[in-house]
Amino acid sequence: MRYVIIGNSYAGLSCADAIRRFDKTGEITIISDESYKAYARPLISYYLEGKTTDETIWYKDDDYYEKNNYKTLFGKRVVSVNTSDKKVVLDDNESIEYDKLFIGPGGVPFVPPIEGFNAESPMMGTFTKFDDAKKMERGAKLAKHKEAIVIGGGLIGLKASEGLRALDMHVTIAELLPRVLGLALDEISGGITAKKLNENGIDTATNDTVTKINVDEAGNPTSVTMKSGRELVADIVIVAIGVRPNVGFLEGSGITIDRGIVVDKTMMTNIKDVYAGGDAIVSYDILNKKPNIIAIVPLACEQGRVAGTNMAGVYREYYGGMGLNSVEIYGLPIITIGLTNPNNPSQTVFIHQEDESVYRKLVYDGQVLVGAILLGDVAGAGILSAIIRQGEKCLKYKDEFLKGNIYSFVIDNEFEVYNINEGYAIRGDFEDLPQFSRSNWR
Amino acid sequence: MEKNMKSIKLTNLEDDLKKNQIEIMLYPSKCDGCEGQEYKSCVQACETHMKEKYGKYNTARINIKSKGNKFFPILCHNCEEAPCVDACMPGARYRDNENGWTLTNYKKCVGCWMCVMVCPFGAIERVGKDHYASKCDGCIDEETPKCVEACKKGALKKIGIKNYSYERRLMIANKLYGPHLKINYNRYKNNSR
Repeated sequence: MRYVIIGNSYAGLSCADAIRRFDKTGEITIISDESYKAYARPLISYYLEGKTTDETIWYKDDDYYEKNNYKTLFGKRVVSVNTSDKKVVLDDNESIEYDKLFIGPGGVPFVPPIEGFNAESPMMGTFTKFDDAKKMERGAKLAKHKEAIVIGGGLIGLKASEGLRALDMHVTIAELLPRVLGLALDEISGGITAKKLNENGIDTATNDTVTKINVDEAGNPTSVTMKSGRELVADIVIVAIGVRPNVGFLEGSGITIDRGIVVDKTMMTNIKDVYAGGDAIVSYDILNKKPNIIAIVPLACEQGRVAGTNMAGVYREYYGGMGLNSVEIYGLPIITIGLTNPNNPSQTVFIHQEDESVYRKLVYDGQVLVGAILLGDVAGAGILSAIIRQGEKCLKYKDEFLKGNIYSFVIDNEFEVYNINEGYAIRGDFEDLPQFSRSNWR
Repeated sequence: MEKNMKSIKLTNLEDDLKKNQIEIMLYPSKCDGCEGQEYKSCVQACETHMKEKYGKYNTARINIKSKGNKFFPILCHNCEEAPCVDACMPGARYRDNENGWTLTNYKKCVGCWMCVMVCPFGAIERVGKDHYASKCDGCIDEETPKCVEACKKGALKKIGIKNYSYERRLMIANKLYGPHLKINYNRYKNNSR
């Protein structure tokens, strides 16, 4: 059996491992457009800060590919997929035949039309790849005024700013929404985060964006013009608006695409023997109860594993996922789980705040917890995400949760570990015991 | 009932333990939080051992949480497909296929708290000062886990994987059916011999 995996990151490798678990002899080929072995992509900002280095940024051990007998084709881009002949065409016109194909191309940064933006410039770019981080490291050394502008105050933007700040740049974040991390955080927590950023030399320009990048004759930025009319000096400009599924190369392959790649429960696309997973797919969102793109690491791994298991011939279903995020900004941990900004009248919000250091927010839909923000104190956050995932009724615990006694839920109910090979779950009231299966523990 | 549960072995315990698939079993009802003592003995034993083993990464991996007069030891349940391994961005947490434990390479850990966010047992602790997420490693290179050695109340027990699974099921069956549950223990004993 010939397995071909497009994408050498979380989804792709987790898929390869799952195949190898059931098929010890099949030929597995991993294709990536980057010439590096797998590295921890979200960690490129930590690389600039020096928290991870050239030695520790690699996702797997050095002998990982040889040990598992994976063939690798690094530095080669897939230009098209021919699903009728079961072939993958690379940019050097080589074509690779497959019996089963996994597509995990991830996301590409989205760059809106901004006057003056030129990704070729050593002082401008996006921030999603290792090369981007290395480019910024070089760029920061060339910067004359030590001023940087980051367009977009989402996770990538925040992390990029933290990285640039560590390179001794003064950073300004331009964010169109009224707060940083606008989709995940609310007004209060966004305010606390912004204050933390400001204290550490990162300015936040919210409700504002860059309309024009003014460049010198070499094409490098000198300043930016904001929507509010301000003009800010800029040596480096990073666009971090967000990412879009990297599905351009699938045009003409017959694979259904609706924003991302559409897959069924077994992670198979509409074409037989072609599977997909990771940031580029539309998968079931258990909280919004509809297909959605959720681009986070844990789901990519789980989707890759479900796809790989099915590719190796063992049936397995994907349960669905929900949005989760965890970030630390200058010693302030922030975890957001599920729906944090409710817009439905049936949902109620409970808030607890201790000065600027601890903030907790719970969103209930009737009796059921559907979302939470934990800021400052994140102990036991996993218990909340398990409760939200399982849809437990836990309104009577709201005061305990707000006070931070998340473990009290566990102590009252006690963990019930079913057969350890069959997954586990927290037990709630006995009448509404959810269905347990291998895949719904998270 | 509990006496009976202790005496019964589904498989040969020694053989089971030799296979290195060792788990730590919890009996929360027996834990009293080391009443009257200055330190909880399991926590202290773990901390001392971790200091020897990991140096800088020396926080206790076991934690006793309490509510009223109820105590509950919080530690890693060593999931087969662990959410914390999936969520780990730097690849610091991994599953060791040889001994079956979910382990951590602390040198790679950057403190993103993704694992804290997904652990359904709340068994991973954020150590903000030194920036790492500490988790029990089952004392895989020791004969007996240090917390088990230290616990004098019998709330923690070292156990092979088959017995672990069996005792868990028995505990749950016990809870569901309580005194109505009758097991012919002698039948199992005879079978295993």
